[in-house]
Amino acid sequence: MTTNSTMDIPAHVPEDRVVDFDYLRPAGVDEDLHLAWKNAQDTLPDIFWTPRNGGHWVVTRADAIKAVQLDHKRFSHARLTIGGPAVREGSVVQMDPPRHGPYRMLVSPAFSPKTIAALEPIVRETTISIVEELRPKGECEFVADFAQILPVVVFLGTVDLPPEDRNYLLPLAEKIIRPRDPQEHQESYTALGEYVARALAARAEQPGSDLLSKIVTAKIGGEPIDFEAAVALSMIVMAGGLDTVASILGFVVRFLALNPGHRQQLIDDPSLVPNAVEELIRRHGLVNTARLITQDTEFQGMRLKEGEQILVPNHLYGLDERQVDNPLVVDFTRPHPEQHYAAFGNGPHRCPGSFLAKLELTVFLQEWLARIPDFVIKPGTTPRMASGSVNTVHELHLAWDTDPR
Amino acid sequence: MPKITFIEDDGTEHTVEAGADASVMQAAMDNLVPGIVAECGGYANCATCHVYIDPAWADKLPAPEEAEDVMIEAAFDVRPTSRLSCQVQVTEDTDGLIVRLPASQTGA
Repeated sequence: MTTNSTMDIPAHVPEDRVVDFDYLRPAGVDEDLHLAWKNAQDTLPDIFWTPRNGGHWVVTRADAIKAVQLDHKRFSHARLTIGGPAVREGSVVQMDPPRHGPYRMLVSPAFSPKTIAALEPIVRETTISIVEELRPKGECEFVADFAQILPVVVFLGTVDLPPEDRNYLLPLAEKIIRPRDPQEHQESYTALGEYVARALAARAEQPGSDLLSKIVTAKIGGEPIDFEAAVALSMIVMAGGLDTVASILGFVVRFLALNPGHRQQLIDDPSLVPNAVEELIRRHGLVNTARLITQDTEFQGMRLKEGEQILVPNHLYGLDERQVDNPLVVDFTRPHPEQHYAAFGNGPHRCPGSFLAKLELTVFLQEWLARIPDFVIKPGTTPRMASGSVNTVHELHLAWDTDPR
Repeated sequence: MPKITFIEDDGTEHTVEAGADASVMQAAMDNLVPGIVAECGGYANCATCHVYIDPAWADKLPAPEEAEDVMIEAAFDVRPTSRLSCQVQVTEDTDGLIVRLPASQTGA
Protein backbone atom coordinates (compact mmCIF):
# COMPACT_ATOMS: atom_id res chain seq x y z
CA MET A 1 0.00 0.00 0.00
CA THR A 2 1.33 3.42 -0.78
CA THR A 3 0.10 5.01 2.40
CA ASN A 4 3.58 6.28 3.07
CA SER A 5 2.55 7.80 6.31
CA THR A 6 5.34 8.84 8.53
CA MET A 7 4.73 8.68 12.22
CA ASP A 8 6.49 9.45 15.43
CA ILE A 9 9.42 7.17 16.08
CA PRO A 10 8.59 4.94 19.08
CA ALA A 11 10.77 5.73 22.10
CA HIS A 12 12.12 2.17 22.40
CA VAL A 13 13.67 2.23 18.91
CA PRO A 14 17.33 3.32 18.96
CA GLU A 15 17.99 6.27 16.66
CA ASP A 16 20.58 4.37 14.62
CA ARG A 17 18.01 1.69 13.79
CA VAL A 18 15.51 4.02 12.20
CA VAL A 19 15.66 3.81 8.40
CA ASP A 20 13.37 5.40 5.85
CA PHE A 21 12.67 2.20 3.92
CA ASP A 22 9.57 1.55 1.81
CA TYR A 23 9.31 -2.18 1.12
CA LEU A 24 7.00 -1.47 -1.78
CA ARG A 25 9.60 0.73 -3.46
CA PRO A 26 13.14 -0.15 -2.35
CA ALA A 27 15.72 2.09 -4.06
CA GLY A 28 16.65 0.72 -7.48
CA VAL A 29 13.66 -1.62 -7.82
CA ASP A 30 12.92 -0.46 -11.37
CA GLU A 31 16.34 -1.57 -12.64
CA ASP A 32 16.64 -4.90 -10.81
CA LEU A 33 14.33 -5.89 -8.00
CA HIS A 34 16.58 -8.47 -6.38
CA LEU A 35 19.69 -6.27 -6.56
CA ALA A 36 17.67 -3.47 -4.98
CA TRP A 37 16.75 -5.72 -2.07
CA LYS A 38 20.28 -7.11 -1.88
CA ASN A 39 21.56 -3.57 -1.58
CA ALA A 40 19.21 -3.04 1.35
CA GLN A 41 20.56 -6.21 2.97
CA ASP A 42 24.15 -5.09 2.38
CA THR A 43 23.83 -1.48 3.53
CA LEU A 44 21.10 -1.38 6.19
CA PRO A 45 21.27 -2.77 9.74
CA ASP A 46 20.38 -6.47 10.22
CA ILE A 47 17.27 -5.30 12.05
CA PHE A 48 15.77 -1.83 11.78
CA TRP A 49 12.54 0.11 12.11
CA THR A 50 10.98 2.10 9.28
CA PRO A 51 8.23 4.70 9.65
CA ARG A 52 6.87 3.79 6.20
CA ASN A 53 3.63 1.89 5.61
CA GLY A 54 2.37 2.48 9.11
CA GLY A 55 5.71 1.83 10.82
CA HIS A 56 7.26 -1.63 11.25
CA TRP A 57 10.42 -3.60 11.95
CA VAL A 58 12.46 -5.26 9.18
CA VAL A 59 14.96 -8.12 9.42
CA THR A 60 17.30 -8.69 6.51
CA ARG A 61 19.48 -11.69 7.33
CA ALA A 62 18.89 -15.42 6.91
CA ASP A 63 19.28 -16.35 10.57
CA ALA A 64 16.69 -13.80 11.70
CA ILE A 65 14.29 -14.59 8.85
CA LYS A 66 14.31 -18.25 9.79
CA ALA A 67 14.08 -17.58 13.53
CA VAL A 68 11.01 -15.37 13.09
CA GLN A 69 9.29 -17.87 10.81
CA LEU A 70 9.82 -20.70 13.29
CA ASP A 71 8.75 -18.77 16.42
CA HIS A 72 5.00 -18.45 16.12
CA LYS A 73 4.59 -17.75 19.84
CA ARG A 74 6.33 -14.39 19.61
CA PHE A 75 5.76 -13.77 15.91
CA SER A 76 2.18 -14.54 15.02
CA HIS A 77 0.65 -15.00 11.60
CA ALA A 78 -2.42 -13.08 12.79
CA ARG A 79 -1.58 -10.12 10.57
CA LEU A 80 0.36 -11.30 7.58
CA THR A 81 0.99 -8.21 5.48
CA ILE A 82 2.49 -4.92 6.54
CA GLY A 83 -0.17 -2.30 7.09
CA GLY A 84 -2.72 -4.72 5.68
CA PRO A 85 -6.30 -4.37 6.85
CA ALA A 86 -7.90 -6.86 9.17
CA VAL A 87 -8.88 -9.96 7.24
CA ARG A 88 -11.36 -12.72 7.63
CA GLU A 89 -11.64 -14.72 10.78
CA GLY A 90 -10.79 -18.32 9.99
CA SER A 91 -8.11 -17.60 7.44
CA VAL A 92 -5.75 -20.54 7.84
CA VAL A 93 -2.67 -18.62 6.83
CA GLN A 94 -3.27 -16.32 9.79
CA MET A 95 -3.71 -19.09 12.33
CA ASP A 96 -0.99 -20.19 14.67
CA PRO A 97 -0.49 -23.79 15.76
CA PRO A 98 -2.28 -25.82 16.97
CA ARG A 99 -5.47 -24.33 15.45
CA HIS A 100 -3.77 -24.25 12.06
CA GLY A 101 -3.17 -28.01 11.82
CA PRO A 102 -6.60 -29.41 10.98
CA TYR A 103 -7.07 -26.86 8.19
CA ARG A 104 -3.62 -27.41 6.81
CA MET A 105 -4.30 -31.16 6.67
CA LEU A 106 -7.03 -30.47 4.13
CA VAL A 107 -4.68 -28.72 1.75
CA SER A 108 -1.29 -30.45 2.01
CA PRO A 109 -2.26 -33.79 0.42
CA ALA A 110 -3.67 -31.99 -2.62
CA PHE A 111 -0.17 -30.72 -3.42
CA SER A 112 1.92 -33.73 -2.39
CA PRO A 113 4.60 -35.01 -4.79
CA LYS A 114 2.34 -37.92 -5.74
CA THR A 115 -0.63 -35.72 -6.55
CA ILE A 116 1.57 -33.29 -8.44
CA ALA A 117 3.33 -36.02 -10.42
CA ALA A 118 -0.07 -36.94 -11.83
CA LEU A 119 -0.40 -33.38 -13.15
CA GLU A 120 2.80 -33.53 -15.19
CA PRO A 121 1.13 -34.53 -18.48
CA ILE A 122 -1.30 -31.62 -18.37
CA VAL A 123 1.47 -29.19 -17.36
CA ARG A 124 3.61 -30.40 -20.26
CA GLU A 125 0.80 -30.41 -22.79
CA THR A 126 -0.32 -26.91 -21.79
CA THR A 127 3.26 -25.58 -21.88
CA ILE A 128 3.96 -27.03 -25.32
CA SER A 129 0.74 -25.73 -26.76
CA ILE A 130 1.34 -22.17 -25.56
CA VAL A 131 4.99 -22.14 -26.67
CA GLU A 132 4.14 -23.59 -30.09
CA GLU A 133 1.61 -20.82 -30.58
CA LEU A 134 4.10 -18.13 -29.57
CA ARG A 135 7.14 -19.41 -31.47
CA PRO A 136 6.21 -18.26 -35.00
CA LYS A 137 5.41 -14.76 -33.72
CA GLY A 138 9.03 -13.96 -32.89
CA GLU A 139 8.03 -11.97 -29.84
CA CYS A 140 5.71 -11.97 -26.85
CA GLU A 141 4.90 -10.16 -23.68
CA PHE A 142 5.92 -13.05 -21.48
CA VAL A 143 3.84 -12.18 -18.42
CA ALA A 144 0.47 -12.00 -20.16
CA ASP A 145 1.28 -14.48 -22.92
CA PHE A 146 2.75 -17.25 -20.78
CA ALA A 147 3.35 -16.63 -17.06
CA GLN A 148 -0.24 -15.75 -16.33
CA ILE A 149 -1.60 -18.64 -18.39
CA LEU A 150 0.26 -21.88 -17.61
CA PRO A 151 0.20 -21.89 -13.78
CA VAL A 152 -3.25 -20.37 -13.63
CA VAL A 153 -4.84 -22.84 -16.04
CA VAL A 154 -3.21 -25.77 -14.22
CA PHE A 155 -4.24 -24.43 -10.84
CA LEU A 156 -7.84 -23.74 -11.86
CA GLY A 157 -7.96 -27.36 -13.02
CA THR A 158 -7.02 -28.61 -9.55
CA VAL A 159 -9.89 -26.65 -8.04
CA ASP A 160 -12.17 -27.46 -10.99
CA LEU A 161 -12.89 -23.85 -11.95
CA PRO A 162 -13.29 -22.82 -15.60
CA PRO A 163 -9.98 -21.68 -17.17
CA GLU A 164 -11.60 -18.57 -18.63
CA ASP A 165 -12.27 -17.33 -15.08
CA ARG A 166 -8.62 -16.32 -14.96
CA ASN A 167 -9.61 -13.12 -16.74
CA TYR A 168 -11.70 -12.19 -13.72
CA LEU A 169 -9.45 -13.67 -11.04
CA LEU A 170 -6.00 -12.42 -12.06
CA PRO A 171 -6.79 -8.70 -11.74
CA LEU A 172 -8.34 -9.41 -8.35
CA ALA A 173 -5.26 -11.28 -7.18
CA GLU A 174 -3.05 -8.42 -8.39
CA LYS A 175 -5.05 -5.86 -6.41
CA ILE A 176 -5.05 -8.03 -3.29
CA ILE A 177 -1.35 -8.82 -3.33
CA ARG A 178 0.05 -5.51 -4.60
CA PRO A 179 -2.72 -2.96 -3.96
CA ARG A 180 -2.29 0.71 -4.74
CA ASP A 181 -4.24 1.63 -1.61
CA PRO A 182 -6.03 -0.10 1.26
CA GLN A 183 -9.44 0.45 -0.32
CA GLU A 184 -8.44 -1.38 -3.50
CA HIS A 185 -7.19 -4.26 -1.38
CA GLN A 186 -10.40 -4.43 0.62
CA GLU A 187 -12.73 -4.26 -2.39
CA SER A 188 -10.83 -6.94 -4.28
CA TYR A 189 -10.62 -9.13 -1.22
CA THR A 190 -14.37 -8.89 -0.77
CA ALA A 191 -14.98 -9.67 -4.44
CA LEU A 192 -12.72 -12.75 -4.33
CA GLY A 193 -14.51 -13.86 -1.18
CA GLU A 194 -17.86 -13.65 -2.93
CA TYR A 195 -16.56 -15.57 -5.94
CA VAL A 196 -15.13 -18.31 -3.72
CA ALA A 197 -18.30 -18.47 -1.60
CA ARG A 198 -20.40 -19.03 -4.73
CA ALA A 199 -18.09 -21.82 -5.89
CA LEU A 200 -18.10 -23.45 -2.47
CA ALA A 201 -21.87 -23.24 -2.10
CA ALA A 202 -22.25 -25.04 -5.43
CA ARG A 203 -19.84 -27.79 -4.32
CA ALA A 204 -21.55 -28.18 -0.96
CA GLU A 205 -24.65 -29.11 -2.98
CA GLN A 206 -22.83 -31.31 -5.47
CA PRO A 207 -19.34 -32.22 -4.25
CA GLY A 208 -16.73 -33.33 -6.77
CA SER A 209 -13.24 -34.71 -6.27
CA ASP A 210 -11.53 -31.30 -6.43
CA LEU A 211 -9.85 -29.45 -3.56
CA LEU A 212 -12.66 -26.92 -3.04
CA SER A 213 -15.19 -29.74 -2.66
CA LYS A 214 -12.91 -31.39 -0.15
CA ILE A 215 -12.60 -28.18 1.85
CA VAL A 216 -16.29 -27.36 1.97
CA THR A 217 -17.29 -30.89 2.97
CA ALA A 218 -14.48 -31.29 5.54
CA LYS A 219 -14.84 -31.94 9.24
CA ILE A 220 -12.75 -29.96 11.72
CA GLY A 221 -12.53 -31.57 15.14
CA GLY A 222 -15.43 -33.85 14.20
CA GLU A 223 -17.74 -30.96 13.23
CA PRO A 224 -18.54 -29.80 9.69
CA ILE A 225 -16.23 -26.94 8.72
CA ASP A 226 -17.63 -23.48 9.30
CA PHE A 227 -18.58 -22.03 5.90
CA GLU A 228 -16.73 -18.77 6.50
CA ALA A 229 -13.61 -20.72 7.47
CA ALA A 230 -13.95 -22.77 4.28
CA VAL A 231 -14.13 -19.53 2.28
CA ALA A 232 -11.10 -18.09 4.04
CA LEU A 233 -9.04 -21.24 3.52
CA SER A 234 -10.04 -21.47 -0.13
CA MET A 235 -9.11 -17.82 -0.68
CA ILE A 236 -5.60 -18.49 0.57
CA VAL A 237 -5.30 -21.45 -1.76
CA MET A 238 -6.49 -19.24 -4.62
CA ALA A 239 -4.08 -16.40 -3.83
CA GLY A 240 -1.18 -18.85 -3.70
CA GLY A 241 -2.19 -20.58 -6.89
CA LEU A 242 -2.90 -17.55 -9.01
CA ASP A 243 0.06 -15.31 -8.42
CA THR A 244 3.22 -16.98 -7.24
CA VAL A 245 4.37 -19.24 -10.06
CA ALA A 246 3.43 -16.52 -12.53
CA SER A 247 5.69 -14.14 -10.61
CA ILE A 248 8.73 -16.40 -10.41
CA LEU A 249 8.43 -17.37 -14.07
CA GLY A 250 8.83 -13.67 -14.89
CA PHE A 251 12.04 -13.35 -12.88
CA VAL A 252 13.45 -16.61 -14.23
CA VAL A 253 12.81 -15.67 -17.84
CA ARG A 254 14.23 -12.19 -17.39
CA PHE A 255 17.38 -13.84 -16.04
CA LEU A 256 17.58 -16.30 -18.94
CA ALA A 257 16.99 -13.56 -21.51
CA LEU A 258 19.99 -11.71 -20.08
CA ASN A 259 22.23 -14.80 -19.71
CA PRO A 260 22.67 -16.81 -22.92
CA GLY A 261 25.44 -18.90 -21.35
CA HIS A 262 23.06 -20.23 -18.73
CA ARG A 263 20.47 -21.04 -21.39
CA GLN A 264 23.03 -22.92 -23.43
CA GLN A 265 24.17 -24.87 -20.38
CA LEU A 266 20.67 -26.24 -19.88
CA ILE A 267 20.26 -27.02 -23.57
CA ASP A 268 23.59 -28.87 -23.64
CA ASP A 269 22.87 -30.78 -20.42
CA PRO A 270 19.16 -31.09 -19.62
CA SER A 271 19.99 -33.22 -16.58
CA LEU A 272 20.93 -29.94 -14.88
CA VAL A 273 17.34 -28.69 -15.03
CA PRO A 274 16.09 -29.91 -11.62
CA ASN A 275 19.04 -28.36 -9.80
CA ALA A 276 18.74 -25.26 -11.97
CA VAL A 277 15.15 -24.88 -10.79
CA GLU A 278 16.30 -24.92 -7.16
CA GLU A 279 19.10 -22.44 -7.90
CA LEU A 280 16.81 -20.08 -9.82
CA ILE A 281 14.33 -20.14 -6.92
CA ARG A 282 17.13 -19.40 -4.47
CA ARG A 283 18.31 -16.43 -6.48
CA HIS A 284 14.85 -15.04 -7.31
CA GLY A 285 12.73 -15.42 -4.17
CA LEU A 286 9.41 -13.67 -4.04
CA VAL A 287 7.84 -13.29 -0.69
CA ASN A 288 7.63 -10.44 1.84
CA THR A 289 5.35 -11.63 4.60
CA ALA A 290 4.97 -9.98 7.98
CA ARG A 291 4.41 -11.17 11.51
CA LEU A 292 2.52 -9.59 14.38
CA ILE A 293 4.58 -9.31 17.54
CA THR A 294 2.55 -10.88 20.33
CA GLN A 295 4.44 -9.73 23.41
CA ASP A 296 7.08 -7.29 24.54
CA THR A 297 10.28 -9.15 23.80
CA GLU A 298 13.93 -8.85 22.90
CA PHE A 299 15.14 -9.97 19.50
CA GLN A 300 18.50 -9.38 17.82
CA GLY A 301 19.33 -6.86 20.52
CA MET A 302 16.19 -4.79 19.93
CA ARG A 303 13.20 -4.34 22.21
CA LEU A 304 10.07 -5.22 20.26
CA LYS A 305 6.62 -4.28 21.56
CA GLU A 306 3.38 -6.21 21.48
CA GLY A 307 1.25 -5.14 18.53
CA GLU A 308 4.13 -4.06 16.31
CA GLN A 309 4.73 -5.70 12.95
CA ILE A 310 7.93 -7.15 11.56
CA LEU A 311 8.64 -7.68 7.86
CA VAL A 312 10.22 -11.03 6.95
CA PRO A 313 11.64 -10.68 3.41
CA ASN A 314 12.21 -14.40 2.98
CA HIS A 315 13.52 -13.86 -0.57
CA LEU A 316 16.60 -12.31 1.10
CA TYR A 317 17.46 -15.59 2.85
CA GLY A 318 19.12 -17.09 -0.23
CA LEU A 319 20.94 -13.85 -1.04
CA ASP A 320 22.72 -13.70 2.31
CA GLU A 321 26.45 -14.36 1.92
CA ARG A 322 26.50 -15.47 5.55
CA GLN A 323 24.33 -18.36 4.37
CA VAL A 324 25.55 -19.09 0.85
CA ASP A 325 28.80 -18.34 -1.00
CA ASN A 326 28.66 -15.84 -3.86
CA PRO A 327 24.90 -15.46 -3.46
CA LEU A 328 24.34 -13.30 -6.53
CA VAL A 329 25.98 -15.85 -8.83
CA VAL A 330 23.57 -18.27 -10.48
CA ASP A 331 25.40 -21.60 -10.62
CA PHE A 332 23.34 -24.50 -11.91
CA THR A 333 25.89 -26.93 -10.46
CA ARG A 334 25.79 -25.43 -6.96
CA PRO A 335 25.36 -28.32 -4.50
CA HIS A 336 22.00 -28.32 -2.73
CA PRO A 337 20.77 -24.81 -3.48
CA GLU A 338 17.50 -25.79 -1.77
CA GLN A 339 19.30 -25.67 1.57
CA HIS A 340 20.02 -22.02 0.99
CA TYR A 341 16.62 -20.53 0.51
CA ALA A 342 13.46 -19.86 2.44
CA ALA A 343 11.47 -19.00 -0.65
CA PHE A 344 8.67 -21.30 0.45
CA GLY A 345 8.97 -20.29 4.08
CA ASN A 346 10.08 -22.30 7.09
CA GLY A 347 7.87 -23.86 9.69
CA PRO A 348 4.27 -24.99 9.82
CA HIS A 349 3.06 -22.45 7.24
CA ARG A 350 5.59 -23.51 4.63
CA CYS A 351 4.08 -23.18 1.17
CA PRO A 352 2.18 -26.39 0.35
CA GLY A 353 2.47 -25.69 -3.38
CA SER A 354 6.25 -26.01 -3.72
CA PHE A 355 6.15 -29.29 -5.66
CA LEU A 356 3.70 -27.85 -8.17
CA ALA A 357 5.84 -24.72 -8.56
CA LYS A 358 8.96 -26.79 -9.18
CA LEU A 359 7.20 -29.07 -11.64
CA GLU A 360 5.97 -26.10 -13.64
CA LEU A 361 9.40 -24.46 -13.68
CA THR A 362 11.05 -27.74 -14.70
CA VAL A 363 8.65 -28.39 -17.55
CA PHE A 364 8.84 -24.76 -18.62
CA LEU A 365 12.64 -24.85 -18.90
CA GLN A 366 12.58 -28.14 -20.80
CA GLU A 367 9.91 -27.26 -23.31
CA TRP A 368 10.57 -23.55 -23.84
CA LEU A 369 14.33 -23.95 -24.34
CA ALA A 370 13.72 -26.85 -26.74
CA ARG A 371 11.61 -24.57 -28.93
CA ILE A 372 12.89 -21.05 -28.30
CA PRO A 373 16.52 -21.51 -27.26
CA ASP A 374 17.63 -17.96 -28.04
CA PHE A 375 15.71 -14.93 -26.93
CA VAL A 376 16.37 -11.42 -25.68
CA ILE A 377 14.53 -8.66 -23.91
CA LYS A 378 12.87 -6.90 -26.82
CA PRO A 379 15.05 -3.93 -27.81
CA GLY A 380 13.54 -0.63 -26.70
CA THR A 381 11.56 -2.20 -23.87
CA THR A 382 12.31 -2.36 -20.17
CA PRO A 383 10.89 -5.09 -17.94
CA ARG A 384 8.61 -3.72 -15.24
CA MET A 385 8.99 -5.28 -11.80
CA ALA A 386 7.12 -4.63 -8.58
CA SER A 387 7.88 -5.22 -4.93
CA GLY A 388 5.03 -6.23 -2.67
CA SER A 389 3.91 -8.97 -0.33
CA VAL A 390 4.78 -11.12 -3.35
CA ASN A 391 7.40 -9.61 -5.67
CA THR A 392 6.51 -9.88 -9.31
CA VAL A 393 7.25 -8.98 -12.92
CA HIS A 394 4.43 -6.96 -14.48
CA GLU A 395 5.73 -6.71 -18.03
CA LEU A 396 8.50 -8.50 -19.90
CA HIS A 397 8.71 -8.16 -23.67
CA LEU A 398 10.82 -10.82 -25.37
CA ALA A 399 12.01 -11.19 -28.97
CA TRP A 400 13.60 -14.04 -30.91
CA ASP A 401 14.54 -15.01 -34.44
CA THR A 402 11.84 -17.25 -35.91
CA ASP A 403 14.20 -18.72 -38.52
CA PRO A 404 17.61 -18.99 -36.87
CA ARG A 405 19.15 -21.32 -39.52
CA MET B 1 23.01 -41.69 22.21
CA PRO B 2 20.35 -43.88 20.56
CA LYS B 3 21.42 -45.54 17.33
CA ILE B 4 19.27 -45.72 14.20
CA THR B 5 20.02 -47.80 11.12
CA PHE B 6 18.72 -46.49 7.79
CA ILE B 7 18.67 -48.97 4.91
CA GLU B 8 18.45 -47.50 1.43
CA ASP B 9 16.38 -49.11 -1.28
CA ASP B 10 19.56 -50.61 -2.78
CA GLY B 11 20.49 -52.15 0.57
CA THR B 12 23.13 -49.63 1.64
CA GLU B 13 23.07 -49.30 5.41
CA HIS B 14 23.79 -46.19 7.45
CA THR B 15 23.94 -46.50 11.23
CA VAL B 16 23.90 -43.10 12.92
CA GLU B 17 23.73 -41.73 16.43
CA ALA B 18 20.73 -39.51 17.02
CA GLY B 19 20.26 -36.69 19.48
CA ALA B 20 17.71 -37.62 22.13
CA ASP B 21 15.34 -34.77 21.20
CA ALA B 22 15.56 -35.25 17.45
CA SER B 23 13.11 -36.84 15.09
CA VAL B 24 14.19 -39.79 12.96
CA MET B 25 14.05 -37.43 9.97
CA GLN B 26 16.37 -34.94 11.70
CA ALA B 27 18.78 -37.74 12.57
CA ALA B 28 18.95 -38.67 8.89
CA MET B 29 19.45 -35.06 7.78
CA ASP B 30 22.09 -34.36 10.45
CA ASN B 31 24.07 -37.39 9.30
CA LEU B 32 23.64 -36.79 5.56
CA VAL B 33 21.77 -40.05 5.02
CA PRO B 34 20.57 -39.95 1.41
CA GLY B 35 17.00 -40.74 0.41
CA ILE B 36 15.08 -38.33 2.62
CA VAL B 37 14.02 -34.95 1.21
CA ALA B 38 12.08 -33.45 4.15
CA GLU B 39 10.84 -30.60 2.00
CA CYS B 40 8.60 -29.09 4.71
CA GLY B 41 11.19 -29.27 7.47
CA GLY B 42 9.32 -31.54 9.85
CA TYR B 43 5.64 -30.59 9.98
CA ALA B 44 3.97 -33.61 8.38
CA ASN B 45 3.09 -31.38 5.46
CA CYS B 46 4.90 -32.87 2.50
CA ALA B 47 5.35 -36.67 2.79
CA THR B 48 8.97 -36.58 1.60
CA CYS B 49 10.52 -38.12 4.71
CA HIS B 50 8.61 -41.35 4.18
CA VAL B 51 10.20 -44.48 5.70
CA TYR B 52 9.23 -48.08 6.40
CA ILE B 53 9.64 -49.07 10.02
CA ASP B 54 11.22 -52.50 10.51
CA PRO B 55 8.38 -54.91 11.37
CA ALA B 56 10.04 -55.80 14.68
CA TRP B 57 9.77 -52.13 15.66
CA ALA B 58 6.43 -51.16 14.17
CA ASP B 59 4.39 -51.90 17.29
CA LYS B 60 6.89 -50.38 19.70
CA LEU B 61 6.49 -46.81 18.47
CA PRO B 62 3.65 -44.47 19.46
CA ALA B 63 0.87 -44.53 16.85
CA PRO B 64 0.80 -41.71 14.27
CA GLU B 65 -1.43 -38.71 14.88
CA GLU B 66 -4.12 -37.73 12.40
CA ALA B 67 -2.02 -35.18 10.52
CA GLU B 68 0.59 -37.83 9.80
CA ASP B 69 -1.99 -40.43 8.82
CA VAL B 70 -3.57 -38.03 6.34
CA MET B 71 -0.23 -37.16 4.79
CA ILE B 72 1.14 -40.71 4.58
CA GLU B 73 -1.60 -41.41 2.08
CA ALA B 74 0.03 -38.82 -0.15
CA ALA B 75 3.41 -40.59 -0.19
CA PHE B 76 4.61 -42.99 -2.88
CA ASP B 77 4.46 -46.77 -2.44
CA VAL B 78 2.72 -46.74 0.94
CA ARG B 79 2.87 -49.95 2.99
CA PRO B 80 1.42 -50.96 6.36
CA THR B 81 4.68 -49.99 8.12
CA SER B 82 4.93 -46.58 6.45
CA ARG B 83 5.63 -43.57 8.67
CA LEU B 84 6.70 -39.98 8.18
CA SER B 85 10.06 -39.96 9.90
CA CYS B 86 9.67 -36.33 11.02
CA GLN B 87 6.88 -37.50 13.30
CA VAL B 88 8.82 -40.38 14.87
CA GLN B 89 10.64 -39.15 17.93
CA VAL B 90 14.03 -40.53 18.94
CA THR B 91 14.14 -41.67 22.58
CA GLU B 92 16.32 -44.01 24.63
CA ASP B 93 13.67 -46.66 23.90
CA THR B 94 14.27 -46.41 20.15
CA ASP B 95 17.96 -47.36 20.45
CA GLY B 96 18.64 -49.81 17.62
CA LEU B 97 15.66 -48.73 15.49
CA ILE B 98 15.81 -49.94 11.89
CA VAL B 99 14.04 -48.03 9.11
CA ARG B 100 14.04 -48.71 5.36
CA LEU B 101 13.87 -45.96 2.76
CA PRO B 102 11.59 -45.98 -0.28
CA ALA B 103 13.06 -45.97 -3.78
CA SER B 104 12.01 -42.33 -4.18
CA GLN B 105 10.36 -39.64 -2.08
CA THR B 106 9.17 -37.65 -5.06
CA GLY B 107 8.40 -40.24 -7.70
CA ALA B 108 11.33 -39.00 -9.79
